Amino acid sequence: MKVAILSESPADEAALRILAAVIVAKAVEFPDLPLRLRPGGWPSVHNLLPTVIKHLYYHTDTNALIVVVDSDNSPAHDAAVDREKCSGAGCRLCRLHQTVERVDAILKPTTRPPLTVAIGLAVPAIEAWYLCGIDQHATEAAMLRRLKSERHVHLKNALKRQVYGTDRPGLVLETSKAVEAASRLAGSLDALSRHFPCGFGSLLSECKAW
Amino acid sequence: MIESVEFKNFKVLRDTTLPLSQVTLIVGPNGSGKTTAIDGLRAAAGKWTPGLDEVRTAGQHDDSALPSIHLRWSDEFGNAITTVQWNRVQRILSHHGQGAQRNLGVELQSRISLHLSGLRRYCLDAAQIAQPTVLQSHLEFTEQGGNLAGGLDELRDQDPERFESLNQELSRWIPEFDHVVFDMPQPGQKTLLLRTRTGGHRIPASQLSQGTLLALAMLTLAYLPNPPTIVCLEEPDRGIHPRLLRDVQEALYRLAHPESFGEKRPPVQVIATTHSPYMLDLFRDHPEEIVIASKHGMEARFERLSDRTDLDEILQDAHLGEAWYSGVLGGVPEKS
Repeated sequence: MKVAILSESPADEAALRILAAVIVAKAVEFPDLPLRLRPGGWPSVHNLLPTVIKHLYYHTDTNALIVVVDSDNSPAHDAAVDREKCSGAGCRLCRLHQTVERVDAILKPTTRPPLTVAIGLAVPAIEAWYLCGIDQHATEAAMLRRLKSERHVHLKNALKRQVYGTDRPGLVLETSKAVEAASRLAGSLDALSRHFPCGFGSLLSECKAW
Repeated sequence: MIESVEFKNFKVLRDTTLPLSQVTLIVGPNGSGKTTAIDGLRAAAGKWTPGLDEVRTAGQHDDSALPSIHLRWSDEFGNAITTVQWNRVQRILSHHGQGAQRNLGVELQSRISLHLSGLRRYCLDAAQIAQPTVLQSHLEFTEQGGNLAGGLDELRDQDPERFESLNQELSRWIPEFDHVVFDMPQPGQKTLLLRTRTGGHRIPASQLSQGTLLALAMLTLAYLPNPPTIVCLEEPDRGIHPRLLRDVQEALYRLAHPESFGEKRPPVQVIATTHSPYMLDLFRDHPEEIVIASKHGMEARFERLSDRTDLDEILQDAHLGEAWYSGVLGGVPEKS
């Protein structure tokens, strides 16, 4: 199965490859595609996703796409309400799912198999996932509580300091820490899913269904 | 470090304060005082000694509005103030304290002078970077990136480990090359070449792309074993692919936050200018490092981005660079 990854940095991509290889029950290949989001990914993923899906569908033999964005200070996902309503409230997870559904509906049938898309939302940033199992406060619920009293930029920088020892990590350090964390988390996906049920849990169940 | 610079009647900077961090990225339209602010710092550092007519605000001939610049130093420098004033006769530079502590000790004054004398401005130019270096003692990387070949050759001889780290970083930035190598086109001259990863071909600097040369110069600056104390960089993003700007930002951070990169030398204060929305995006998580320069008629002003109370709201659905380009953050050309 050929899986493409769309994320903000090569470090995130390296970590997501490790996680995806464990999650997806089939043999996974990662085609060498030059996909990347602009830093501060949300606005670009929101605008770019239809173009990326169409490109992968019509011009490559990729089977699946994993997209992971930071939640920053966007409203939390509410599984108790329908997607339309949750999206309207500003939930990034639901907005991206809606975008995928819209694009899916306009893709012309071809001889190729369908392209499936799984979406992850890191609350407030992927570094929170990396801390799962190390810091007992690294949970989606705890992060959402902190976002009520802290500016998301401060929280994101605090998480970076915790993971990398600095809030201005170089790419080499960022990648090595991301790979180290993902390798550890690959052995405890259930815990990561339990602690980050919306942002990671939904990604996990979507990938498992492939 | 310098915490802020107050300008009075200094060219287009009639009455404004430039807030500074360890890294400061100034963004704004042409003519909004970005380079003028750097010139002001150069004047305070004695790197530029202009006369009154070169620095006073255009059309301002009144002696009650003479130009002055006040640099406010951090705790580490006793919260001192460096003042440069111009009158009809001379340019006067002084270092002093505030209030009752107006007189600084000799030791502190010389420490400030020494720190200021380490200020360098760079406006890198690919043609200069590609030039062979005429070998001599005390080679210095010039404002436009000249002497790069000689500087790198010196680095290889004096600090081979650092030179190898630079080569590793180079191959990460520009993967088609894996090493800087040298040649002697004439006795007493050194020129640089880049070796291709595939085939080991040696490409002379004169045949490298402008972007490659500019990236190599930026990288070298970040790997200097003894960099300047204050680095002012005009458009470090110029000629460089947007995806490589993350590496350029990393080079600036390596200079300014050496401890984050395992370096043991003192931090460099970095002040850079840009017109690139992509470069701006990279500083989204550190809005305190961004200063927006705006021009209002014949006057320019500075505002620290983190002082905007509506910033989180603006960035909810927009890239920082796009928000700046749109004009909602200011710092764009005025309507004609």
